[in-house]
Amino acid sequence: MQSKRLGTFSLLCSLALLVGFSDAATASAQAPTFTVGWSVYAGWNPYFYMQKSGILKKWADKYGIAIKVQRFDYAASLDSFVAKNIDACAMTNMEALDMPAAAGVDSTAIIVGDYSNGNDAVLVRDNLTFQTLPSKPVMLVQKTVSEYLLERGMVLNGQQAQLGKLHLINTSDSDIVAAFLNNKSNEAVVTWKPLVSQIVADKSVHSIFDSSKIPGEIMDLMVVRSEVLNTPNGQKFARALTGAWYETIQQVAAGQANALKYSAAASGDSVESYKEQLKTTALFVSPKSAVDFTDGPEVQQKMDLVRLFCFKHGLLGQGIHSVDDVAIAYPNGTVQGNKARVRLRFNSAYMQAAEQGKL
Amino acid sequence: MTNLSPFDIQARPNRLLAQALSCVLFVVCIGLYMHTSVERHKENAEDRVVPSGHQLVAGIRSAVLEPAEEDDYIPAESASTWERLRHSMIWKDTASSGGRFFISLALLIPFVVLAVHIGLFPWFGAGFLRFFLFFDKIVALSLLPILFIAFGIDQWSKIALIVIGVAPTMILDVTQMVKAVPQEQIVKAFTLDANNFDVAYRVVFRQVLPQVINSLRLNLKPMMLFLFAGEMIAASDGLAYRIAIMRRHMGMDVILPYVLWVALLLFLIDFSLRVINRRLHPWFQA
Repeated sequence: MQSKRLGTFSLLCSLALLVGFSDAATASAQAPTFTVGWSVYAGWNPYFYMQKSGILKKWADKYGIAIKVQRFDYAASLDSFVAKNIDACAMTNMEALDMPAAAGVDSTAIIVGDYSNGNDAVLVRDNLTFQTLPSKPVMLVQKTVSEYLLERGMVLNGQQAQLGKLHLINTSDSDIVAAFLNNKSNEAVVTWKPLVSQIVADKSVHSIFDSSKIPGEIMDLMVVRSEVLNTPNGQKFARALTGAWYETIQQVAAGQANALKYSAAASGDSVESYKEQLKTTALFVSPKSAVDFTDGPEVQQKMDLVRLFCFKHGLLGQGIHSVDDVAIAYPNGTVQGNKARVRLRFNSAYMQAAEQGKL
Repeated sequence: MTNLSPFDIQARPNRLLAQALSCVLFVVCIGLYMHTSVERHKENAEDRVVPSGHQLVAGIRSAVLEPAEEDDYIPAESASTWERLRHSMIWKDTASSGGRFFISLALLIPFVVLAVHIGLFPWFGAGFLRFFLFFDKIVALSLLPILFIAFGIDQWSKIALIVIGVAPTMILDVTQMVKAVPQEQIVKAFTLDANNFDVAYRVVFRQVLPQVINSLRLNLKPMMLFLFAGEMIAASDGLAYRIAIMRRHMGMDVILPYVLWVALLLFLIDFSLRVINRRLHPWFQA
């Protein structure tokens, strides 16, 4: 009796397994599917509209592939990308370097979508300045572009020697507004929009530094795993995604009502507030502007600052003993760092194809 | 011949077999981990998600022997291992988290005393019981913004989170224990000329104390959970702070040792409470 039960059980198990396998088999027989991850941010919200409006489907069909778009929390999207659960992900240049690239996942930025031109800011109460900041606690999400912005602000204001004296409090972005505003003894905070807008609504707080003073240093990229990009289907995927992106972003920039409405809805903002966020986001609306920026010499200077920051803060990992061990390759063939260890690539070919109308 | 049937209540594996069986799942877990790690490293030699043994050793070394990144301290070339240990990242984090943990533990004591009163004195019961019944169902984490206003973002908001999270449960639990003490004993103590406080502290409290300690042992993990939640949301030191920071660049080589270290600490606290309980109350059969 007993063994008979067990037999039935194992039969059921193997049946379940079989069903599972055949499911996977039929899926792979269909059009190749790719997944794009994105998270809430002014420059990335259009991905929500891109999917809703059918623009993405149109482009995917053109290339005979299927593209899924999935919304994540920012940190979770990066984790999934590094774990290879998704094929492409929206991220900043800093995280592209210190998450996938530093973890040995060879990554390629195919779209440089925008750079932060005031979206990130250092906010203070009273009349605090960079001179008096080091003695006060500063709330921010540590090891992100917020800390990078703070350090750049200190350096550009001649306070480089004081960097070590900063007292940082790592505060989750979900609670940073409440935690800062509710307590008058917190005097400084570094964060990004729309949180910045919520905080400066309090009249006693003002900005002393923002990312418009370091234009181009905080870039927002669409990053694809290089191993995906190196397959024929992966290239179709990159082409379809790039084509869909420029069609989408041009609608957003032109102020098309639905494009704005859905992009704003993606982060639960009003259209007004979303427009305000776009003002401090330097979008590369035309593929030409993005190509010019990516191919130009500036990108390399900016990335050099970022990679040194990452290395100094140990973001490249315990085992990395030289900043050159996580090398970056640029469209013109230059490599920043050790040529044998290229982990992050800027590739303007797809944006160029969009510029020439060849997608 | 040993009976080898696993579905026989009377069957008892011999000592050696029992020991071996208890290790099986550990070995399976470690094996699965190593397998995954090796597979992932074959594909990507720098994988950080499932660090290899080599990476783990390097992670442990830097956690145990090197100072935290935000500290100014630089160990002298000749610094002894003990000297390095005392200024290390893990020591610093353990000290600050441990401080918060034990302060909250101490703050639970008055609540236990209050619970004895609630269970025993009808006036206290009328005043407090319903309130704590209600408060017990409040999800403390969602109150965090209010805690920030009341306690600031330093030490005390985290301690308050732990106490608010755990105290109501403890109170209800202890109240139940007190109510379970047979009424006859209380009457008897009164007939032997005990006063109210004799009954409360020398008859009832003494009797429920071992159960209270057991209840505390069960609550250690929720306490740690609340501490972690608090430290991950806003902190500048602590075990969970480090894990939150390390997560930002996938420093699993440090996170995994930290997780095991926390597990060990919890086990040790639990174990010492159990030993104390057995020493103090040899008559109590748990």
